[in-house]
Amino acid sequence: MECRELNERIIDRLTGDLAPDSGRELIAHLDSCSACRTEAAAVERAWAFLGEDAGAEATPEFMRRGKALVEEEMLRARVREFRPRPRWIRPALQAAAVLAAAGLGYLAANRRPTPASPAPRVGPTPAPAIAGLGENSRLSNLSYLGNGPNGRIGIGFDVTTRHQVEGSPADPEVAKVLAYVVTHNGENAGETSRAIELVQQHYGQGEAAPSPDIVAALTATLKRDPNPGVRKKAADALAGMRITPEIRSALLDALRDDKNPAVRLVAIDRLAAAAKQEPDARTIQSLRAKAVDPAENGFVRAKAASALKTMEF
Amino acid sequence: MPTASGHGENTSAEDRLLLERIRRGDTDGAAELFERYAPALLRFADRLLSDRAQAEEVSQEVFVKVISRAHQYDGRAEVSSWLFAIAANACRDRRRRDRRAPVVPIEALPEPAARGEGVERALMDRERRDSVRRALAELSEEQREALVLARYHGLPYAEIATVLGISVGAVKTRIFRAVETLKARFSEGAASWNAAN
Repeated sequence: MECRELNERIIDRLTGDLAPDSGRELIAHLDSCSACRTEAAAVERAWAFLGEDAGAEATPEFMRRGKALVEEEMLRARVREFRPRPRWIRPALQAAAVLAAAGLGYLAANRRPTPASPAPRVGPTPAPAIAGLGENSRLSNLSYLGNGPNGRIGIGFDVTTRHQVEGSPADPEVAKVLAYVVTHNGENAGETSRAIELVQQHYGQGEAAPSPDIVAALTATLKRDPNPGVRKKAADALAGMRITPEIRSALLDALRDDKNPAVRLVAIDRLAAAAKQEPDARTIQSLRAKAVDPAENGFVRAKAASALKTMEF
Repeated sequence: MPTASGHGENTSAEDRLLLERIRRGDTDGAAELFERYAPALLRFADRLLSDRAQAEEVSQEVFVKVISRAHQYDGRAEVSSWLFAIAANACRDRRRRDRRAPVVPIEALPEPAARGEGVERALMDRERRDSVRRALAELSEEQREALVLARYHGLPYAEIATVLGISVGAVKTRIFRAVETLKARFSEGAASWNAAN
């Protein structure tokens, strides 16, 4: 071994990557070369010096918060992605529905009326002007027809008969149906999340401007839905839209009141991005309050502080 | 020597099982993986960013990404390497963003206060840690990443190469240069460094 190879071998030894043969050569060389012994000692001192930094401690609070967020993310990940049904399945389902309806119709005619369908998960959104559709009706056999020519979309559903609403996302009737789907059609968190995803696809930033009906449906969901994952989804959808006073207000409310830290993090991101373009006193005040609130979740506090750092006042 | 996770073949197999459980939607599996790696990832990010709050965010981000991309893990690298690679990328993104963004100072978040007899010791620990952090800050970002993975997480060269997406030769060069810089600094400022020890 030669002196010029010394540092490399010493470092290999310190990292545990030195082969046994090379190790024996190194020891033999150090025994016979005092200059290399001095050099080796200097490298080892520098290496040992690094050990003075014990590193950041993972406090129990950090672990608890982190695990809570991980659990929330797992819940969110369980919401399955919406995929349009294959073409062949629709006629089959329709045929089955006709048979089932005939059977149920017969039974219903011979029984007392059943209670009305369950109340919507969140507050009222006006029903679109569709025959047979009441304030609390649920649209069944919902199908989504995807992007048609010129970005047109279609939503098919059954009320008392089959309906299909088709048009551009900016079309008020289309927006109204989508808003209704968000607020009324979710029997469970998965269905509501799927409806929000439909909205997100067509009313994100750079897409069509969100209609007041859509914004109202999402803000109501964000405010009142009992499921934290659904509220996070609604916050994501609102965050993807061009900011309006209503959206800002809803996000500020969520930042202040929502129990789910993931929702509050989304609110901070969107509010901060908007405030960077157009300073807003309420946003800055809310972020400051969050950044120094000792009772707040550490991630939220840190996010609020980071957001403020990036702003020019 | 502190290691990424006390690695061995068993740990590696357990990690893969945990990832499989995450793929199947098992929340306990995700919590277990977090428990196992969050402390190491926090220390890693903290040493790269020198910012506790951001390091906590990065550690959290890593697991959010792992959950959403568990199906993308192809099994060629260790799970731990994959986690550190995500963390290294997240730290780089943050450093890039911080360089671009105009920074307005705000009140620093309060650090947990030391109490009683531990105060003096805590202060000395902090002084020593700060001294190391200043030395690390003199290294290039690439050198610091490689050195931190080798020195504090006990990753072998081959695994560091996987984490950073570079060759083993490049890893060795980066660590070699980093140690050369530290050694030179140590020789020049031995008195002040010793004072901290």
